[in-house]
Amino acid sequence: MTSIDVRDLTKEYGGRRAVDRLTFRVRPGRVTGFLGPNGAGKSTTLRLVLGLDRPTSGTATIGGRPYTALREPLRHVGALLDAQAAHGSRTGRDHLRALAASNRIPCERVEAVLEETGLAPAARRRVRTYSLGMRQRLGIAAALLGDPAVVVLDEPSNGLDPEGIVWIRRLLRRLATEGRTVLVSSHLMNETASFADHLVVLGRGHLLADTPIRDFIHARVRPGVRIRTTDGTALAALLARHGYDAVPTEDRGWTVPDARVEDIGRLMSEAGVPVLELAAEEATLEQAYLDLTSAEAEFAAQPQEA
Amino acid sequence: MSFTPVLRSEWIKIRTLPSLVGSLGAVLLATVAFSALGAVGTDGTDPLFSAFFGVGFGQTAAIAFGATAVSAEFHGGALRLTLSAVPDRGRWFAAKATAIGVPVLAVGLLTGPLTLAVAGAVSGATAPTWTEGLRGTLGCALYLTLMALFAAGVAAVLRSGVATLSTLIPFLLIVSFVIGDMSGGVADFLPDRAGQVALHSSWDGTLGPWTGLAVTVLWAAAALLAGAWSLRRRDA
Repeated sequence: MTSIDVRDLTKEYGGRRAVDRLTFRVRPGRVTGFLGPNGAGKSTTLRLVLGLDRPTSGTATIGGRPYTALREPLRHVGALLDAQAAHGSRTGRDHLRALAASNRIPCERVEAVLEETGLAPAARRRVRTYSLGMRQRLGIAAALLGDPAVVVLDEPSNGLDPEGIVWIRRLLRRLATEGRTVLVSSHLMNETASFADHLVVLGRGHLLADTPIRDFIHARVRPGVRIRTTDGTALAALLARHGYDAVPTEDRGWTVPDARVEDIGRLMSEAGVPVLELAAEEATLEQAYLDLTSAEAEFAAQPQEA
Repeated sequence: MSFTPVLRSEWIKIRTLPSLVGSLGAVLLATVAFSALGAVGTDGTDPLFSAFFGVGFGQTAAIAFGATAVSAEFHGGALRLTLSAVPDRGRWFAAKATAIGVPVLAVGLLTGPLTLAVAGAVSGATAPTWTEGLRGTLGCALYLTLMALFAAGVAAVLRSGVATLSTLIPFLLIVSFVIGDMSGGVADFLPDRAGQVALHSSWDGTLGPWTGLAVTVLWAAAALLAGAWSLRRRDA
């Protein structure tokens, strides 16, 4: 099984640290979301992992070897960095054929990935006629070409229509189920929550979190209960007696922070307070993420990652 | 990773870009057409050069071919994709240079006999001798190839086709037409002046046909090495 190992990775551009002593491991069999605000160093880290940029210090290895030491790397690692990488005057199929030839990947794989990404009908068209979503699919097709054990995608849902977003979600889940190592960068929190099992979060080049997605949310967002009742006075009194805070909401309901539906539901039933609605407040990844990165976000007019 | 798959990949890239195939065709067309025009007005003092007069124009297409084939990699992250498939940058650039040089050489070898035949047909003056013709054909093919490789090397350093063409083409035009008559001295050692000696029936400078081509080889090699060095040193 092939992991991505990043150890003490640092990259400076003219004195500015884009990536600062980063250490994490991306394991096979799950989708790891790579999150951070723009300029946090996600793309720089991916370029370092793929041996495209040289680290100032530290190492990035894939299955224990640096990327540049891989023989026929597309058979081990598939990457989507930039949807504009394909030349506009070439057809989608020719773009993939050139890439396949360099790593001795048989032509059948080109047809297979065109089919898999839904591009087969457009394969003979020049890339300049493709929509952004189609270019994104072509980039994903290129990443899957060598049937790699490791898949690295930089913002893959960029420009995809809703149908495409559902497709990529299923694709990522399937790749992980097949035992592959899947690393997907994004700045879209809720989108990432829909496919990731694990999170690596960056802010200003630092590692902010490396944790399962459930733990990430639960550690940062307190659970709550949302209630609607016909007898607000009785509810408030009941909750106050048991040490809960009931906060009225605009739509004439109540929210109770730090509470679980199991407890509140039993109390209300025992006290005979009528219940119109009782629901757990879902903690979202977005809240957890904003909570974590608000202090780290880089709003200054610094050059953004390319 | 061996060289052949990388070369195959680079060759697919070249033959699937219509603009590159077009500039290869333009090398042949421009050379033959301008040679024919030149041969009409020749005074017969240099029969070989009057048949190969068009090479000065055909080289523009060869330079455009070499520069564009390299600069296409510097658009929209194409180089990152290329180098993620072939992380050995030296090997990749060697394959790229081969995929540029071989087709230009082939087109050049085709252009030579054709331009001789066409120029001979339209010109009333003395035809070049058979050995001169053979030298001209080889010289034309090698010269065009070396200029394409020279441009490829410059494009890898400048990372831009526009910058490369707007540097090389005015340079060649100025050298050929402005200081071209100042024979002797440093001008003889410029890449185009040195290489084009092989296209003349007679010469009076320090360089002969083969030594002249050798000087152009050095120019092309220097440009390619600079390009390879720049590729290896810089982040993609």
